[in-house]
Amino acid sequence: MQLYDPTASGAERTLSRAGALAAIEGKTIGILENGKLNAPEMLREIADLFVARHGCTIHAVYSKSNASAPAPAETLAQAAAEVDFLITGLGD
Amino acid sequence: MHDGISFEQLGKRAVVLCTEPFEVTAKNIAKIMGLADYPFMKVQHPIGSCTAPELKARAEVGYRQALAILLGD
Amino acid sequence: MPFDSHRIHDIPDDLLAAIDYCYEQGWTDGLPVIPPVLDRVHAMLAYEGRPPEAVIATHPATTLQLTVHAAAVNAVMAGCLPEYFPVLVAAFEAMDKPDFNFHGSTASTGGSAPLLIVSGGYADDIGMNADVNLFGPGNRANATIGRATRLILRNVFQMIPGISDKSTQGNPGKYSFCIAERARGNPWPLLCQEQDYPEGVSSVTVFAGGGFCNVENHGGNTPEQILGSVADAMANYGCITLGQSVVILAPEHMRIVAGAGWSRKDAQEFLFAHAKRSIEGMKSVGKYRDVEYDKQHGPDAHSLAQPGYIHRGLGPDDILIAMGGGDAGGHSCFIPSWSRGRGSIMQHKPIGVCIDCN
Repeated sequence: MQLYDPTASGAERTLSRAGALAAIEGKTIGILENGKLNAPEMLREIADLFVARHGCTIHAVYSKSNASAPAPAETLAQAAAEVDFLITGLGD
Repeated sequence: MHDGISFEQLGKRAVVLCTEPFEVTAKNIAKIMGLADYPFMKVQHPIGSCTAPELKARAEVGYRQALAILLGD
Repeated sequence: MPFDSHRIHDIPDDLLAAIDYCYEQGWTDGLPVIPPVLDRVHAMLAYEGRPPEAVIATHPATTLQLTVHAAAVNAVMAGCLPEYFPVLVAAFEAMDKPDFNFHGSTASTGGSAPLLIVSGGYADDIGMNADVNLFGPGNRANATIGRATRLILRNVFQMIPGISDKSTQGNPGKYSFCIAERARGNPWPLLCQEQDYPEGVSSVTVFAGGGFCNVENHGGNTPEQILGSVADAMANYGCITLGQSVVILAPEHMRIVAGAGWSRKDAQEFLFAHAKRSIEGMKSVGKYRDVEYDKQHGPDAHSLAQPGYIHRGLGPDDILIAMGGGDAGGHSCFIPSWSRGRGSIMQHKPIGVCIDCN
């Protein structure tokens, strides 16, 4: 008996990470929040620790309107052009 | 997780926050996207109903992990 | 990928062992499946005009793709007959529209299930049930089209419970959630007509349904009484968000509403105006958020949105109303949207025809 496989077959993807920061001091931070309850507050608390301890600045808080859809490419591109690193998150 | 990995493709580091019950979900997305070992911050669940002091406590945990992620390989 | 190169599993010629094999591969929803033997898949494919490798839907987060072929394999496993296949294809074409957000709505703790509502003559052509026991078991088309939807989410899009599907509790519709709109005795235009499809074209509407709420009312005999009880269900604290709603009116309730001369639009407006909670009430249960209130009461606010209240949805058009169920019984239902409001917006597509193809 022969059965077709019901799962998707796709090419394996491989991505790379961006390079590490040499230092944190004085860097600009972007926050990308997803609109969920306490999401901006939680991420802001983390960013504030970088501000207090490393002299970082929070450049912008980017919001996405749909917590469970990928952020629009233009939002990510704008953030990448404006900040040194991004703090974002998922989960409730 | 998706946003963090996509952001890093633009050449800058991202640190992604995740609560403990979502760790397996986060790792699964990272694996499917081709970055199985992508590190992220992991804090106690939940966040939505946290008081301000509880958020601060989670932030401290997240900050320590974020520092290592930003500076690490 | 060429048709002939699809992965094939060679297994012993033993049907029961083949069912067990499907379990072992992790291909089922917990119930036995029909082993997807080649000739049954080919028969399914004969009902689709596009080549097997054509892509019907793409997962927005993982980029996993649903091909016509993979849809056919899962349709066979679910127990679909070939003539059901165009409904399944149209459903995933609808779910592929970005605003449906089928990643979020299938991954979320909210535990929603895609509800499929088939409207028009095609439902009758394939023997779908729009009548007694509408949401219950017993009809092959309803049961297996809904089940195939779940199997595709599991097998193709890898929405695996506990890993990528984080439903806190899920809902029974995650096994199968597919109905037909009842045409017989329906005083209102069918959904497919409201959706402006040409005469004779049927449609499937997909909605990320967060469960099922029975609305019992055997004593009311005016539209206000019947729809008042529906609105109350829509506004319960556990369900109220800015999200969309599906209301399936029982024929007994429909006779009262339409019998008094109410149109679908009248009913939608009544439900929107009455499915609401005060700001104080929302605060009392910890669910009030300024940002949601502002979204409903901003410059684009609907004229029926009452200051000081959170309504369900942004306007009457966010409430889909259709008729379904058996002749007897004052039992309608309200199906809430996936828990987080407007993360998924319902979509529809024509069945078996290409009206707005790219």
